[in-house]
Amino acid sequence: MTGMAYSVWLPLFALFYVAVMLYWVRVAASETGADDGFFSAGHALAPWITALVIGGASMSSWFVLGGSQQIVAQGFQMPALIVGGVLLALPGTLFFKRLWFVAERMRVSSQADIFRVYYGSPFLVTASVTVALLFAIGFCGLQIRAISDLTELMTGGAVSRFTASVVLGFVLFAGAGIGGMRAIGYFGVVQTVLAFAGIVALSGFALIWSGGFAALNAGLLQLSAIEGSAGLFTVNGVIHFTSGLGRGGELADANTALANLSFAFALMGFQASPLIIKLVLSTRSPNGIAAGQTWVTAGFFGAVIAFCIALTGAAGLVDRDLALDGLLSALQTGSPWFAAWIFIGIAAGVQLLAGLALFVAGEGLVRHIYRPYFNSRLSKHGAVTLTRIIIAVLAAVAMLMENLAPVALSALSALALPMAFQLWTPLLGVTWLSWITRPAAAAGVGFGLAGVLLTEPLGYQVLSFFGLELPWGRWPWTIHSALWGMAANVAAVLIISAITNRNALGTEAREIRRLFSGLLSTSGKAQKLRSTAWSVTLAWFFLAVGPGLIFGNSAFVATGESGPIWLLGMPSLWAWSLAAWVSGLGLIWFLSYKMEMASPLHVTIPPYEPPLRLKKDTSAEEQERLRVLILTGAVGFALAVLIAFSFGG
Amino acid sequence: MSKPAMVERDLLVFSIWAVLGFGGLALLVEGFSRDSYVISLAATLTIILGFIAHIVVNAVFDCGFKPGETALGISAFGAVALAFIIGWAMGGLSAADYWSGLTLLAALGFGLPIYLSTRYGMRGAFSSFHVRHVDDGKPGA
Repeated sequence: MTGMAYSVWLPLFALFYVAVMLYWVRVAASETGADDGFFSAGHALAPWITALVIGGASMSSWFVLGGSQQIVAQGFQMPALIVGGVLLALPGTLFFKRLWFVAERMRVSSQADIFRVYYGSPFLVTASVTVALLFAIGFCGLQIRAISDLTELMTGGAVSRFTASVVLGFVLFAGAGIGGMRAIGYFGVVQTVLAFAGIVALSGFALIWSGGFAALNAGLLQLSAIEGSAGLFTVNGVIHFTSGLGRGGELADANTALANLSFAFALMGFQASPLIIKLVLSTRSPNGIAAGQTWVTAGFFGAVIAFCIALTGAAGLVDRDLALDGLLSALQTGSPWFAAWIFIGIAAGVQLLAGLALFVAGEGLVRHIYRPYFNSRLSKHGAVTLTRIIIAVLAAVAMLMENLAPVALSALSALALPMAFQLWTPLLGVTWLSWITRPAAAAGVGFGLAGVLLTEPLGYQVLSFFGLELPWGRWPWTIHSALWGMAANVAAVLIISAITNRNALGTEAREIRRLFSGLLSTSGKAQKLRSTAWSVTLAWFFLAVGPGLIFGNSAFVATGESGPIWLLGMPSLWAWSLAAWVSGLGLIWFLSYKMEMASPLHVTIPPYEPPLRLKKDTSAEEQERLRVLILTGAVGFALAVLIAFSFGG
Repeated sequence: MSKPAMVERDLLVFSIWAVLGFGGLALLVEGFSRDSYVISLAATLTIILGFIAHIVVNAVFDCGFKPGETALGISAFGAVALAFIIGWAMGGLSAADYWSGLTLLAALGFGLPIYLSTRYGMRGAFSSFHVRHVDDGKPGA
């Protein structure tokens, strides 16, 4: 076959992919008549579509790009990654059903809307939009950069990273900006199956080129016998009291049990983010949530992580030439048709998440910040047009940062998951813990975000710029920023809830509480299982991602004459994690169905009729607000410059 | 069929062919490039699996192939057949290539009457090609 015939596959597959995307954008746009349904797909996405797209967005390509690379670099020190399917599914099991009913009753369609309706807190609305922005620019920007790098690699430099990122930016805008939420949902199905097929095929090649499963594990066993490499296969203690990266401590990702536990919490931030909740609230029925969370996300995609992604990483661990970029390079040389298909799959997964993030961030800025606080007279059509413009601007900003400021992009990206995890407390307040008061939820998130910032590079670099050197670095005591933030968050919530009036709820919040105590109240059967549920969940966390991981170091290892023997023919921690995945799947099933947290419920929820209020002209107030915002920004900037000149380096 | 059901059916069809169609194509090219009949056979099986999945989706949504799908399928079959005949005529096919192509064409060729007979029955499948004008109550020409 000629060189031309070899190089034609990637552009051919890419063209076909874009053509299919534009077809679905057209279908979505034709259904979105007169701007209705642009933001929430008319709440008409089928439950199976949402379940699949949530599964795809939750784990697809960022796990391939990040997860397999982490195993290549650090071995099996972070088993929390391998049970990612269960960890990703858990928040949805807890929140989705109740949030869907809240949205159905109050006729709202996003997380920020729910915070506004329940808490009436502009701060929580802003926090939700900020998290969406972090995902759109930081988290997804970094992945698009990685995909652009792979494009450059696969085309032998014929398509530069910059060109690839520009093209991807346009494709992203075309998908999310034109078609809206419907296009994201529809095309998300195709993207998800493409990503899944790509991951499976990639791991198949990794397995074949490693010589099969037995040969791969023989290679891992050999590696574990090399001095200094044994640590790649063990969790090293429960906690190390280090100062964190950058302050003379150990590596930020030190392999302790608490590093695993706190990283697990960060993963649990994903389904609490406004991105995934947007998908849930655009669905026509909540009756697919239990099946989606149990069988699609925890089961099917959990298996893909536990087997395929772990396998791809393990192959790269044994032979660095089989790491992701090496695998794709080798495929491009030998079987460019497979390389193109797999690459398009991975890119589709990244595009799914990036498109969703850009859309939710754009919507948040326009519908939840700009319109309610600065321009309430903005029409529906105006809001759609402005959102499209904002999506284009955000895509351009992300593209510029990918190429001009990769370090800042990486720092922003690191904040997305732990900050999303801080939204757990207000979400718990809405869905389960009615004693969390408005000031407690807002202060908790505030403290949580500060806790994350102060234990991530962006926070301490900004403070260092102003002349304040923190005594710790990234992830002190080998604890991920998600847990540091949550510690501050929970402390604030507990204290403030204890000292504020728990009955000071707004009319809408009372209505939501009535809904939960009436139609959605838990049956007696499930209530009897409550203590069992707590025990099983805590035990699972302890053993699967917590201090119990120490047992996993040696659970499936025997000592032979010529050295250690892996009883199951694979690293003990990998086998331990597979057992944790299976038991975790059982846990999700138990919580979803037996505890009725996500189980189907066939009731009709009439829309809430708010008490009639006189509509007053708020334009003067809005203009004043804008003036104050500009003034505050200017004064803040001047102060920042002054402090930096006075104390900064 | 309602419009949402049609959209869902189309989504499933697109997804099936995105995985099994392109996967089958990649396997087929791999089989030809490596001169491996086994890989080509896997490709044929993958493509047949795609057809079966498509037919199952059609059955679930109680519909048949759309005219566009039929046209695309027949065009693809024609293109494969033409490529095979040209390759054979020019003498550029190895034994593995020859049998691979023949297997694929035979599978697709026999698949059509099998599909029609399962969907319409033996008599109905024949009738869908043979239109009898006397049946419409008017005198035959």
